[in-house]
Amino acid sequence: MIFHRHRRHSHSVNSMDYYASQSGIRHWNDSYKVISACSILLLCILLNQPVISIAVILTMGFMNVKVNGVSFYDYTGFLKIPVAFLILGSAAVACGISRSPAGDYRISLNWFYLYVTEEGIKQAAELVLKAMGAVSAMYFLALSTPAHELTGVLKKAHVPRIIVELMDMIYRFIFILTEVQGRMKTAAMSRLGYTDFKTSCYSFGQTGGNLFLLSLKKANACYDAMISRCYEGELPFWEEEKQLKIWQVALLAAYEGSLIMLVLILR
Amino acid sequence: MESRETILQVRHLSYGYHPGNPVLKDVNVSVRRGEKIAVMGANGAGKSTFFLNLNGVLQAETGEIFYEGQKTGKKNLNELRKHVGFVFQDADSQIIASSVQAEVAFGPMNLKLSREEVRERVNQALEYMDLQEYRTRPPHYLSGGEKKRVSIADIIAMHSEVILFDEPTAALDPLSADMLEEVLEKLSGEGKALLVSTHDVDFAYRWAERVLVFDQGQVIADGEVLSVFRDESVLERAHLRKPELLEVYEILLKKGLIRENSYPRQAKELAKAMHL
Repeated sequence: MIFHRHRRHSHSVNSMDYYASQSGIRHWNDSYKVISACSILLLCILLNQPVISIAVILTMGFMNVKVNGVSFYDYTGFLKIPVAFLILGSAAVACGISRSPAGDYRISLNWFYLYVTEEGIKQAAELVLKAMGAVSAMYFLALSTPAHELTGVLKKAHVPRIIVELMDMIYRFIFILTEVQGRMKTAAMSRLGYTDFKTSCYSFGQTGGNLFLLSLKKANACYDAMISRCYEGELPFWEEEKQLKIWQVALLAAYEGSLIMLVLILR
Repeated sequence: MESRETILQVRHLSYGYHPGNPVLKDVNVSVRRGEKIAVMGANGAGKSTFFLNLNGVLQAETGEIFYEGQKTGKKNLNELRKHVGFVFQDADSQIIASSVQAEVAFGPMNLKLSREEVRERVNQALEYMDLQEYRTRPPHYLSGGEKKRVSIADIIAMHSEVILFDEPTAALDPLSADMLEEVLEKLSGEGKALLVSTHDVDFAYRWAERVLVFDQGQVIADGEVLSVFRDESVLERAHLRKPELLEVYEILLKKGLIRENSYPRQAKELAKAMHL
């Protein structure tokens, strides 16, 4: 029935976390992975060359599929979301509206013209590539580093403790919430709560409200459990210390160096 | 058995979540070192509230709690929480970290121990509960029984002298329940006092030395397992029933097939007790 269409969507979040927890490079130093991904992203944007963007998309894609162990099918699934946004955004960049005929290709709508220029199309394409390059670099980070390591890096970067601790807790509870919501939805479906649109809206609303109340109760129980273990206001989570190897730094330098060289050669 | 010292003592404890509506009424209990106590009673009788008072999560207006002879008040609540561990019924309420080892380390880290000490305790606790292979796994990818083991490992890492279990077998399959009973044996062997809240009458009969029965906030029975389970009025008030093996014993006794006063607590003791 029509409401099954979106089920793959809600699995994507869990799946990304799953890939992160079994990635081939999850034992690499976490700060290194963050710095690598961010610097590659910045390079891709600053160098602003379609060749670079394509190079990054392909190399990061390769890393994701081979090293992080993401199945090709799932990876294209992950990429669909940013692509959808990009299409909408770049349409806005490429197209223009004008009273008088303008641009290289146009459609006449009664009150105004909708046009695109060759230049506009070129710009939009370059923008899409650049953004996809950046997104690929970010996916490389997300699919190789579990969330608690990311928050650990933020803590090392002196982001205020309260933000980092909230992130940790929110992340943990996303899974509990989706599990409980899944169960409530299954129970509702068994009682024909999702047979048509109107009933589904009603069931969804009820589930949402109930979820909120359950969360409040659970928050109390969780707090009790935390103070039973002598929680005193700080969440000092244990962090594994990961060794940074020289060859990993050299690898990153070589990669970024070759991207820069590529730009210089093309000039 | 009787020469064991009292480790935790509760005197005239009354507690209510809202004023004028007491959930616990004038409770007096002593817990000795290494004791195995089953805490029973109908739902809403006050068992969980009693446990939450025992480890300092809730603080009662009236009554006192003594740990090793020292009175516990607002100032030394952490002392109580350090020494009295609480394993929650729902492991998901207790687990907050994103990996098993971070989760087990949470307690010791809160105690401000050195990194070396924390690592030592975590290793020990994971080994105790046979969880080494799950060390770096996120808790949301664990099964119910594994999560339960993690929640117990949490408390083991805190080296508590008294451990409270809130309905531990509630959501466990028989294999996990057996594993839990083995863990309880191990813990008792180390001299830890254990209080287990349960609805499972047969489990209490099999495992406990002493039974504490709550009814509407009051302790209506506190004594040896046999004397409590043979008291019909207590069983009825607290919505309990006689353990199966006790019923079987009484039937066999009537038929003259079993030795008097043998009271087998487990199925395997049955053969020895019978005239065969």
